[in-house]
Amino acid sequence: MKIRRGLAGAGVLLGLWGVWKLATTVDVHGLVRLPLWLGGAVLADDFFLVPLTVTAGWLVTRWASRPDGHRTVGTIRTTLLYVGITSLIAAPLLLRQGKGPNPTVLPRDYLRDWLLLEATIVAAGIVGYFIASRSAGNALRPATSAVVGRAWRGLRRVRRAPRCE
Amino acid sequence: MKLPAPPTEKSFPSSLHHPRVATVIGRWLGTAVVVCFLTGLYSHFQQDTPGWLPIPSRPATLYRVTQGLHVLSGTIAVPLLLAKLWTVYPKLFAKLPWPPSRKALETMLERASILVLVSAMALELFIGFLNTLQWYPWPFPFRQTHYALAWIIVGALLVHIAVKLPLIRANWRRIAEIVPNSLPPAISGLTRRGLFRTVAGAAALVGITSVGQSAPALGPIAVLAPRKPNIGPQGLPVNRTADAAGVTSVDDNWRFTIKGPQELSLSLDELQQLPQSRSALPIACVEGWSQGGRWEGVRIRDLLELCGAPAHSRVRVVSMEKGGFYATSELPEQFAADPLTLLALRLNGEELALDHGFPARIIAPNRPGVLQTKWVHRLEVIA
Ligand code: HEM
Repeated sequence: MKIRRGLAGAGVLLGLWGVWKLATTVDVHGLVRLPLWLGGAVLADDFFLVPLTVTAGWLVTRWASRPDGHRTVGTIRTTLLYVGITSLIAAPLLLRQGKGPNPTVLPRDYLRDWLLLEATIVAAGIVGYFIASRSAGNALRPATSAVVGRAWRGLRRVRRAPRCE
Repeated sequence: MKLPAPPTEKSFPSSLHHPRVATVIGRWLGTAVVVCFLTGLYSHFQQDTPGWLPIPSRPATLYRVTQGLHVLSGTIAVPLLLAKLWTVYPKLFAKLPWPPSRKALETMLERASILVLVSAMALELFIGFLNTLQWYPWPFPFRQTHYALAWIIVGALLVHIAVKLPLIRANWRRIAEIVPNSLPPAISGLTRRGLFRTVAGAAALVGITSVGQSAPALGPIAVLAPRKPNIGPQGLPVNRTADAAGVTSVDDNWRFTIKGPQELSLSLDELQQLPQSRSALPIACVEGWSQGGRWEGVRIRDLLELCGAPAHSRVRVVSMEKGGFYATSELPEQFAADPLTLLALRLNGEELALDHGFPARIIAPNRPGVLQTKWVHRLEVIA
């Protein structure tokens, strides 16, 4: 408990120091707009980016509940995620390219490079998919398939049961 | 028609929305934040050095490493923050405690601290990244805001750790946990190890495709980096162009002055006649990119000797650039005395390009690029 109190106390002090720094170095014009930007950052994360991944994950998992889907779902999920995160980082580069006054900032052809990067990720994903499904075809170990089959039937029973919530 | 009910904490079936997973990802994100904070503080003190803190001039590439690391770990923190928010997402829909009680108050305070942490961190990463593209679309000053938010983030992080300490401890001690009730991994293909691998992979992918702006060997694949090595006049990127600094040309009777116990005035020719030294030093920008260069010019300590100043003197550097924070800078004595520190006249075997500070610029070891003042026409010995 002592450690927790100490940590929390130190945290509050450091935070207040930050607030003090803000108040003394940023003018009123900036200070009144900062909360909007802070709020915007939360909205962008919690009401756009994360729901997007949750929804995508849900769709992928649903798709994966067909027989043998579980063997390749990992590859698909990972590929989608990598495409998403690299595109998120690439977005400002793409938007800003060619707009600044300094030609050594953003000197690449970011559109081409982004497309190449995504193509590489997808290609790697496709290779992964075939490796995963091939090994599934060849090496169906009886124990595993029995386990999967049982779980799968169990899930279907649950699905068919009337929803009464 | 009835609208679908809003989600509740129970609407998210994945067994990976679990405190143990959150603890592990939190450890990674926390590490990235601490690296950012320490390297950021170092960068801050390089620019606003308190009197009690002597910054050494060696190792020569220290700032290059720390600031490269700052932007690298900051960029890697983007997928880590998203992964962290994903694991704890159901909590966002947890019922607010009611009726009021001591426990309810604690819960509210905890959630407030998390709001501070998430909002400050998300904004910090966003403005940090955009700053490296020299894009500043916000209505507040970057440096001051980024600095203040850094303290707020670290403060809120400590509070958060204090609140979660029992969970963190349980994770360290691997106390047995209740197995969650959801789709078995055999069907969903989701295991914790799989998730950790995927998140680590995302961080690595983002890192490898951006670190090339500070590590030129990886430059060709730095497709997510705002800078590319070897692009720019004399094969070196530029942070502030001559045009932006209002230096359009330098006339032929340009003279360089050094004011110490004696005042000397030298033409470019005369500077070139003085003993020339070579230094291989990087330009290491506050924006994280860096690249080595081969510089030639006159050692500052030789110039000090010429004007009769002691070897350990502080020196004010005055540029011809118009306005801006960096029209003057100060070389602390350990930097002025370092034999690597030059008033550089040449870069990579040629006379300096105007964008690199023609006719003369400062180049010193272990300093951020903003302090490697360009278009220097005057040095003043302070003490
Ligand atoms: C939690 C994450 C972060 C923390 C705690 C943090 C902290 C800091 C601190 C304390 C400074 C020094 C500011 C000053 O000189 O007064 C700094 C500077 C800087 N940071 Fe960060 N930072 C974070 C994330 C990022 C990210 C993600 C990026 C970019 C990808 C970034 C880019 C920069 C840049 C470019 C500077 C130099 C600013 C200047 O001197 O002009 N930071 N950071």
